[in-house]
Amino acid sequence: MSKPSILNFLMRRSSAHPTADDLRSKDPERKGQGLFRLGRSKMRAGETEAALAEFEQALKLLPNYAEAVAARAESLDMMGKIDAARPEYERARSLWAGQRPGAPDRSYLFRQRGRFTFEVDSYELALLRVKTGSFPHLACGNALLAQGHPEEALKCYDRALKIKQNDPDLTALKGEALSMAGRYKAAVEAFDFALATNPKAPETLNARGIAKLGLGDLAGANADWRRQLELLPAEQAAARACVALRLADYAAALPDLEKAITREPGELYWQLYRQTALRRLARPADPEDLLPAAAPAAEAAFQKGVAAIATDTEAAKVAWRETIKLGPVSLIEVCAAHNELSRL
Amino acid sequence: MFSVIIYGRNDSHGYNLHKRAAISFNALAEVMSDPDDEILFVDYNTPDDHPTFPEAIADTLTEKAKKVMRIFRVRPEHHAHLKNKTHLVALESQSRNIALRRSNPKNRWILYTNTDMLLTSRNPKESMSDILGALPDGFYQIPRFEIPEMLWEAAFDRKDPVGNLVKLRDWSVRFHLNQVVHNFMPMRYDALGDFQACLRDDMFAIHGFDEDMILGWHCDSNLAARLALYRGRVDTLIDKAFGYHCDHTRVAAANNKGRKTTMNSHDRFIWNVSTPYLPPQAETWGWPDVEIEEVRLDRETSYERFVAGLETAIKPATVPFTNTSCEWHLFDDLTYDLPHTLPFACDQVLTYPKSTVIMLGATRPDFLTGFAKAWKGMGFTGAILVPQECEGLPAGLPGVTQAPFADIVRKTDLFMFEFGLASQKVEDPTRTGREASATDKKRLKTLERLFREAASTEANTRPARRKLARRFIGVNVIYNKYWPIFTDYVGANINPFCSQVLAGSPLPEPTTVRGKILRFRKRA
Repeated sequence: MSKPSILNFLMRRSSAHPTADDLRSKDPERKGQGLFRLGRSKMRAGETEAALAEFEQALKLLPNYAEAVAARAESLDMMGKIDAARPEYERARSLWAGQRPGAPDRSYLFRQRGRFTFEVDSYELALLRVKTGSFPHLACGNALLAQGHPEEALKCYDRALKIKQNDPDLTALKGEALSMAGRYKAAVEAFDFALATNPKAPETLNARGIAKLGLGDLAGANADWRRQLELLPAEQAAARACVALRLADYAAALPDLEKAITREPGELYWQLYRQTALRRLARPADPEDLLPAAAPAAEAAFQKGVAAIATDTEAAKVAWRETIKLGPVSLIEVCAAHNELSRL
Repeated sequence: MFSVIIYGRNDSHGYNLHKRAAISFNALAEVMSDPDDEILFVDYNTPDDHPTFPEAIADTLTEKAKKVMRIFRVRPEHHAHLKNKTHLVALESQSRNIALRRSNPKNRWILYTNTDMLLTSRNPKESMSDILGALPDGFYQIPRFEIPEMLWEAAFDRKDPVGNLVKLRDWSVRFHLNQVVHNFMPMRYDALGDFQACLRDDMFAIHGFDEDMILGWHCDSNLAARLALYRGRVDTLIDKAFGYHCDHTRVAAANNKGRKTTMNSHDRFIWNVSTPYLPPQAETWGWPDVEIEEVRLDRETSYERFVAGLETAIKPATVPFTNTSCEWHLFDDLTYDLPHTLPFACDQVLTYPKSTVIMLGATRPDFLTGFAKAWKGMGFTGAILVPQECEGLPAGLPGVTQAPFADIVRKTDLFMFEFGLASQKVEDPTRTGREASATDKKRLKTLERLFREAASTEANTRPARRKLARRFIGVNVIYNKYWPIFTDYVGANINPFCSQVLAGSPLPEPTTVRGKILRFRKRA
């Protein structure tokens, strides 16, 4: 028996991470994460060299897997290979930092960056002991939702809600999962419940707006976003700008975008959105195309509409309809396209 | 680049607090290299007549530590509304939030730690400012390593942080100190509260520490749970820095009663946290509307204020020593040496807020004149209120308001009563058997009446904004007839005669002769 197996046997529990299926998978993502979790188990059991081998295997499949890079760095560090470990720690941080976070006006969970395998692994371990706590379920749910797995996240939130019944914050998160799964009616109900307890929750208002838009209720969505804008403090300039952009209210967005650029000069999207606002307000703007090369197609379509609107209304309409078709309802550009089209 | 936030009070929390804290303050300052870096120490609920904790140990701090430290003094009066809800005398969440609210907005990072921690960067050439400056946004923890009590107590030199950090690097290897204690997420490591680095913006976004946590313990874990939700991950800085804790368990601290320790609920504050945010305290965390005094150790220190005040009021002595006597046959002689006594009277008020309003009932005109000069010189901005009933005192002194006792008793924050002979001049001899004149007796009688009334009705005349009893200072109330009178009404310590001054809070029930007789008759 390996040390982790002995540990499992002594603790009278089944393996916290049944990785066998993952390890057999042909999907590199799934197999890579399985290898990472196996490595973590070995690391906890003191088998550092064996753990290192698993992390290296995982990295062969997923070279930009930040969690595996960090775990590899820590293993090397534990083995005294400090010089080899140091750049790996830095690389892990760079990989995380290089991922684009979600829009700042949405729930905090969409702004997180990473695969969260380490976190899910740790919370699952915590669940072996913590039987009356909703937190690990919630944290796992958030990690799954941030990775785009709403159905799995829903199961976690439901487990959390069994422990902390009718909790408005958990219900709001469940609403986010329902919304991402396209179950907008149930999502709106969940957000209504959460907002009845805390009507001043900007992120929940944003989420309800998105779910209402999913149901085709643009007026309802705009009302929620306007209320969100009222509640957001001046110092949350980036979030304010994003809400204003959803509303296609460029005059409101512009000053907040200026502030956001001052705070985060390296964030390309604030530059792009500022250019968008200037163009839509018919003010002088940088002629250079600021849309990142890797931007999703829906974002590119939206910018096409912005470029066309001054001279060719029909072309703009086509581009914005394309935006709505290509992008998720939560995308800023999709929300803005709905508003643009409603005014034409 | 970063603001370190720590808290405490001027007491004796755990073993050899003064040494631990000095080592820690100096070591923390040593790893700072950015001009905006700061150590924010919240001095929570130190009694008003004590200096703050860092002031009390200022002589053991390096110039760098004094320069970077900002002290926020939270008065007992600020804590009064929470006093009956907790057994603790210092509250972590409130303290840390008060500092956060007032931290330098130019700093991107907040580092939460405690007054017994030393941080060493793994690359000795890197400061904590360098390390944090190069980090991407996130929430970072490091493991805490323990230093045996004997080592830090015996071998560290408080004022040599560089030498201490060199020793620590050596000990860590020689004595195998570096043992990482992993923990359940979101507490990535055990004792996580000794190093949690997070963005200032994030802390404002999640509304700071949870101020419902007033029973002690787990404030750090609650923060970790909420920041772990907010950021999704808890990152490690183990490759950059190690944190060492001066172990202090020889004597249990006040909040450590073994298995009987009262604590904030684990379930509520860790395992059932469901949001990073705290909407009920969104507008109030860190007490934004409360005026919190800021004390510095590198400028306008208490000593500098004391000297500035007394220099305006008294001249240096021209003789090697002066004389007085506490022999019992001199019990009725109320003469005292004013230039000698004034420094002790000033010492009683120096630690109070500069805006303090003081009622001064006096008999000697030169005491009022001298004290008023010293008061102003010490930087006090509050008025000196003198009861009009006290006759023979000079009028029109700057900062002094004379008004009927009944009008001013509800306006004062502090009482001072000076029982001397109105007829005594500064050059007159002291305690040679002088008898009080008729005028002296008349003025003393009035003053005694005012004192009894003020002390016995203090609770009834207390301003609505105050919840705690106001302090009484008695000048020339030792080994004379005003000693028993003063202490019948005020719970004062036994002080040396040489200081001439007693002080304390009014007793709930005066220990009067009538009271004593009644109690005696009851027993009989």
